[in-house]
Amino acid sequence: MVTLIRQEIFKLIHKRSTLIGTIALLVLMTIFAIFSKLQPSFSDPKGDFIAAYGGLSWVVFFMIAACSTIIAMEFQYGTVKELLYRKYYRGQILASKWITMFLYSLYFYVLSFIFSIILKLVLFNSKFSLTDLYSNDQSIMHTTLVTYAGNFVGLWLLLSLVLLLANVFKSSAAAISVGIVGYFATSIVSSLLFMLINKWEWVKWNPLNMLNLPTQLSNSTVVGTLTRLSNAELVWGNLIYTAIFLFLGYLIFRKRNV
Amino acid sequence: MNDILTVEKLNKSFGSKKVLKDVSFNVQPGKIVGLVGPNGAGKTTIMKAILGLFDFQSGNILVNGERISIVHHQPLSDVGALIEYPGIYPFLTGRQHLELFADNETTRKEDIQNIITKLNIESYIDRKAKGYSLGMKQKLGIALALLNKPKLVILDEPMNGLDPKATKELRDLILQLTKAGTTFLISSHILSELEKLVDEIVVIDDGKIIKQTSMEALSDSNGNYLVLTTSDDEKARKVFIDEGIKLEQTTEIRIKKTSDDQLASLIQLLSNHGVNIIDVQHEHSDLETSLLDLLDNKQVEE
Ligand SMILES: Nc1ncnc2c1ncn2[C@@H]1O[C@H](COP(=O)(O)OP(=O)(O)OP(=O)(O)O)[C@@H](O)[C@H]1O
Ligand SMILES: [Mg+2]
Repeated sequence: MVTLIRQEIFKLIHKRSTLIGTIALLVLMTIFAIFSKLQPSFSDPKGDFIAAYGGLSWVVFFMIAACSTIIAMEFQYGTVKELLYRKYYRGQILASKWITMFLYSLYFYVLSFIFSIILKLVLFNSKFSLTDLYSNDQSIMHTTLVTYAGNFVGLWLLLSLVLLLANVFKSSAAAISVGIVGYFATSIVSSLLFMLINKWEWVKWNPLNMLNLPTQLSNSTVVGTLTRLSNAELVWGNLIYTAIFLFLGYLIFRKRNV
Repeated sequence: MNDILTVEKLNKSFGSKKVLKDVSFNVQPGKIVGLVGPNGAGKTTIMKAILGLFDFQSGNILVNGERISIVHHQPLSDVGALIEYPGIYPFLTGRQHLELFADNETTRKEDIQNIITKLNIESYIDRKAKGYSLGMKQKLGIALALLNKPKLVILDEPMNGLDPKATKELRDLILQLTKAGTTFLISSHILSELEKLVDEIVVIDDGKIIKQTSMEALSDSNGNYLVLTTSDDEKARKVFIDEGIKLEQTTEIRIKKTSDDQLASLIQLLSNHGVNIIDVQHEHSDLETSLLDLLDNKQVEE
């Protein structure tokens, strides 16, 4: 199993998109931070820091792209035979890909965090300190960590769906589009969704509602009345849906003819 | 049972289409076995089934006496394979491919260098695989199949895209590895090449095994011939016919070979009648002829 994860990481490191993703993330965050510095009237330096200068949103796109290709690429290059005939179980092979993607998402989060701190020190050092109070009487640092955690859990709900679809369609294009649509869908249909929830209470358990977790964490009271779920329920809902999607992906992959 | 590979009554359908029908054959350790048959006969399908790449409806596949299935791959740790075309990551170099799949922690460096030298791919192994030609990819695929010194190697059309020199090098390498105890199952349409390699041949047509036989038995069953040139062909023919020796319907004097001392008695016979033999050729029917005969007659082995 360790061997398989090592192999996946080896491939990931040597893919050009990995380096491009990293550089792109840093550049985009820098651009965002500079804009926010130049236009102080439109920006909220503390809020920008908490959102990693847009980094947390960009990471969603990079991770959707990475997850949709990690399985589809093996079919595309014909390497799936090489991979599957060896002595390992299919479940192990799939799990090694999940774990690699998990580590990759952690890498992006840590990178966003460290680079946010650098940007803050360079551009906004005089404006605020990380121990200042932000919303809900919590320090900026604390709010940042909660925001990261909430986004991370929500990200993985989306990624588990992308991994499932990439597996069903054997193609990355379909998975990428669904992932990105899914990402925007929450904000687009959420008002409609909240209306439905108002009418039929049980609709609150659907996966789209779960994607409201990060918003609710930063703004518990307001959104909580709309999602009708507590923070804990949302977190569990996310985790359970993630597990279900991953498991469905496993069921398909286990018996796939190649 | 000490076969390294046993396939028993394997049945496989894709949807409603039966692709393999009661396929049974076996491979003994240290042998080179050729799997031949027309396009679409099911060669690749058999190989994929052996590698646990898909489910089959019924039957058994045993490697070293252990059952293989889509969910049980353990025995495949001793198997190396190249199926159809090599799977290649364009963003890795050839050497990185080998590093990726080298299993044996302690000997990986030597294993990798060893296979690079043997297949003569040093010159481009550190270039990205994106720029490889067909034959270069093929050699890398073969290198990957042989990398971890497997006991059983399954090669599907290994000569695909190889130039004559590379083909000969591959043949020599396979023969050398067989001496060291490796077993090969090879499918190929290049029969003249296969003929120089294999000990045994398994013929498949339309999903059914038609024959499993050793190479000698196959060429014997289709006959070897003696072709004679004499000082007086006309007279020679007459002598043979008078003696009741059957001649083939050809312009030369062609006699089916039945025993090893047959030639001596023929020479004796002709010289008794004052005819001199100028030249004798031994004609072996090649694999291609034998195979085409076999497929035409479809003499299914009981
Ligand atoms: N994934 C698949 N789905 C449906 N039918 C398939 C599939 N793979 C193979 N077949 C069918 O199975 C039969 C055997 O195919 P296979 O690839 O094993 O032939 P082959 O002997 O390797 O032929 P060739 O010499 O052309 O490589 C063919 O009729 C083919 O159409
Ligand atoms: Mg084939």
